[in-house]
Amino acid sequence: MTRPLAIISLLPDLLNTNGDAANARVLAQRARWAGIPANVIDVRTAGEVPEHVDAVVIGSGSDSDLISARDILATMAADLRVWTTAGVPVLAVGTGWELLSWGIELGDGTVIEGLGIVAGRAVPMQERATDDIVVDSRHGRLIGFENHARNYVGAEASPLGQVRAGTGNGAGTEGLVMGTLIGTHLHGPVLARNPGLADHVLRTALARTGQDYLPGVRTHAADDIAKAARNQIAVRLTLPTE
Amino acid sequence: MRYAPAILLGRVVRKLARWRKPGGGSAVPGLVVNKVAPGFLSRTLNSFPGGLIIVTGSSGKSTTTKMLVAALRAHGSVVFTNQSTANISQGLTSALLEQASLSGHIAGDIAVLEMDEGHGALISGTLTPRIVALTNVMVDQIDRFHDSDMVAAMLVKIAARATGTVVINADDQYLTNLVAQLDGSAAVARYGVSAEVLAANPRGLGYSATTVDRLEAGEGMLLTQVHGRNATVSISGRELPLRLPARGTHYAVDALTALCTAQAALGDRFDAGLAIDAISAIPPVFGRGEIVTVRGQEVEFVLVQNPASFQLNVDSLESGTEQILIAIGSDVRDPSYFWPVNTSGLGRVRIASGSKAQDIALQLTYDDVVVDRIEPDLGRALDDFLALPEPSTGMKTIIFSADSMRRTRAHLGLATNSEA
Ligand SMILES: [Zn+2]
Repeated sequence: MTRPLAIISLLPDLLNTNGDAANARVLAQRARWAGIPANVIDVRTAGEVPEHVDAVVIGSGSDSDLISARDILATMAADLRVWTTAGVPVLAVGTGWELLSWGIELGDGTVIEGLGIVAGRAVPMQERATDDIVVDSRHGRLIGFENHARNYVGAEASPLGQVRAGTGNGAGTEGLVMGTLIGTHLHGPVLARNPGLADHVLRTALARTGQDYLPGVRTHAADDIAKAARNQIAVRLTLPTE
Repeated sequence: MRYAPAILLGRVVRKLARWRKPGGGSAVPGLVVNKVAPGFLSRTLNSFPGGLIIVTGSSGKSTTTKMLVAALRAHGSVVFTNQSTANISQGLTSALLEQASLSGHIAGDIAVLEMDEGHGALISGTLTPRIVALTNVMVDQIDRFHDSDMVAAMLVKIAARATGTVVINADDQYLTNLVAQLDGSAAVARYGVSAEVLAANPRGLGYSATTVDRLEAGEGMLLTQVHGRNATVSISGRELPLRLPARGTHYAVDALTALCTAQAALGDRFDAGLAIDAISAIPPVFGRGEIVTVRGQEVEFVLVQNPASFQLNVDSLESGTEQILIAIGSDVRDPSYFWPVNTSGLGRVRIASGSKAQDIALQLTYDDVVVDRIEPDLGRALDDFLALPEPSTGMKTIIFSADSMRRTRAHLGLATNSEA
C-alpha cells in the first residue's frame, strides 16, 4: 500500500442536509480501525477530483439547490461514468441519487434533467414520506430514516432491497444497485447504522487495490452500538430484533 | 367592553385548570377565549402605543427577546412579553389574560414577542407589528420544517407584516435574500459580525448560508470582538464593551440583535450605554451554559437545539472539561441531522443517555470520542454521573436536548421554565 484509501465526498456543502456526507467519514474510520490508512477528500468542483478515487459518497440536499447541484455534478459526469464502469463503489443518497437518474419530476410538472448515469426517474408522491424505514437486503436488514417527497420508478429490476416498513421507492422496493453504484433513500449515516452495507462498500473498494479487510476491535464496538440502535427501531415497529 | 365576557370566562377556566393540575393547564384558557372571542389576541397585541415587536428565526430567539426586553426596560419602557415557551396563540392569549383588564387593555407601552417561525407564519396575518427582528435561518427541527427554504418562506411572511422596520442579520444569506422580497414599505436595519469574529469561528456561525461579504461599519451595528464572556460592539462608530450571559459567539450575536432592535424601537431615545449595561446585567441564560448547584456540586448545563448550536457548544466548551454526560431525547426524532456536527472536541464522554443514547453514542464513536457507558435511563445516568468524584479540572457538564433538559430538571427537582 503506497497511498491511503481516497474516499471522496461530492458537494459536501450542497448535498448534506441530513448528515449523509458523514458516510464518507464512516468508511474512512472503518478502514482506519482495520489498520488501513484512509482520507476523506471533499470535492466541490471538478478541478478538486483527485487522481486516485477509491470510493464516492454523494448526499442529499434541498430542492432549491437541485439545479445548482446538478450543474456542478454534470461537470463530473465523465468521472462518474469512469468510476461506475471501473468498479469504484459509489453511494448516492436521496437527491444525490435522483440527480444521477434520467430526471426529477417536480410537483409543478417541471422536470429537472438528471445525469442519466443510472436508470429510472424520481416522480412526485401524494404525501412526503418521513419515518423509519426497514429494508431486507442481501447485506442484511437495513434500518434507517427516510424523508423524501418523490418516489423512484425504473429501479424495480435491481433494487437495493424489499421494504419491510416504510415507503422506499414506492412499490415495495427500496433503492437501486447498478454495478458498484448504490442509490438509497436511507438518509444520514446509513453506513454507520448498517455495518453490513458499510463493509460491502469498503470491501468493494479494497478489492480493487488487492487489500484484505478484517474489521478492527473498535469496529466491533461501534457495530454493537449500531445493532442496539437498530433493535430499538425494530421494537418500535414490532419487528423481530437481531 | 366587548371582550369582557371572554376574559372573565378565560380567567375562570384558568382557575379551574390550576385547581385540577397545579402549575399546569396554561394553554387551556387561551383556547377557550380564542374560541369565544377570536379577535382578542390580534386586537390586543396590535393596541400597544409603542407597537408590537416580533423576534423570530431559527435560533437565538429566547435569548434575544430577553436581552431586548432588558434594554427597553432600562429606557423606562413598560414591556409586555411572553416569558414562557408558550409561543402558540393559545399560550399567548393565556399570557395576555394574566394582565388584561376587563376592557381587554393591557398596561404597557410596547409588546415584545418571541415567535416560533412556524406558528408565527400562521398567526402573523392578523398582526401589525411595528418591528420584526430576524435572527437567522438554520437547519432546525427537521421533522417539522424540512429545509432552509421552508424556514425562509415562513420568515418572509412574518417580515412582510412589519410596518416600521425589519431588523436582519446581514451575515445570513437567506435573510439578505428575504429583504429583496419585501415591498419596501418598512425600513431595514442590519447587524453583522466583523471579518475577525467570523474568522475566529472556522466552522462558521451555523447559518444555512453565510453571506460572502461582511457588513461595513456605516451599514449597521457590528460585533467586533468576542473573548469568552466579553464582547465588543461597534455602534455609530463607537466601540463599546459588553458582558455576555455565557461564553460563545452566538450569545454575542443575540446581544447585537437585541441592540439593533432596541435602536429601531426607541429611535432618538436609544442610549447604547444604557442598553449595554442592561444586557450585561442579565444572569446566565437558562439551560445554555447555565451553572447550577446540584447535590452540593456545581454542574454546567448546555442545551443543544440544532446542529449549529451543538457545534458551537462543542467548540466553545471550556478546555479541560473531563466529565461530560450527554443526553439526547425523543424530541430529536431523527438523529441523522446531528451528523454534520464534528463532536471530536468532546474527547471523552462518561455517559451517553436519553432515549437516543445509542444514536449519539454511535456518532461520538465515529468521531473518536471515548464513550465510557451508554445508559438510556436518564435518571440512573444522572445519579451515577453526579456520584462521580469531583473532576480535577473543569466542571461536570451535562449536554442535553430540550426533552432531556426537562427530564433532567424534573429528576433533580430543579425549577423548569415550562409554562407557568
Ligand atoms: Zn435519581
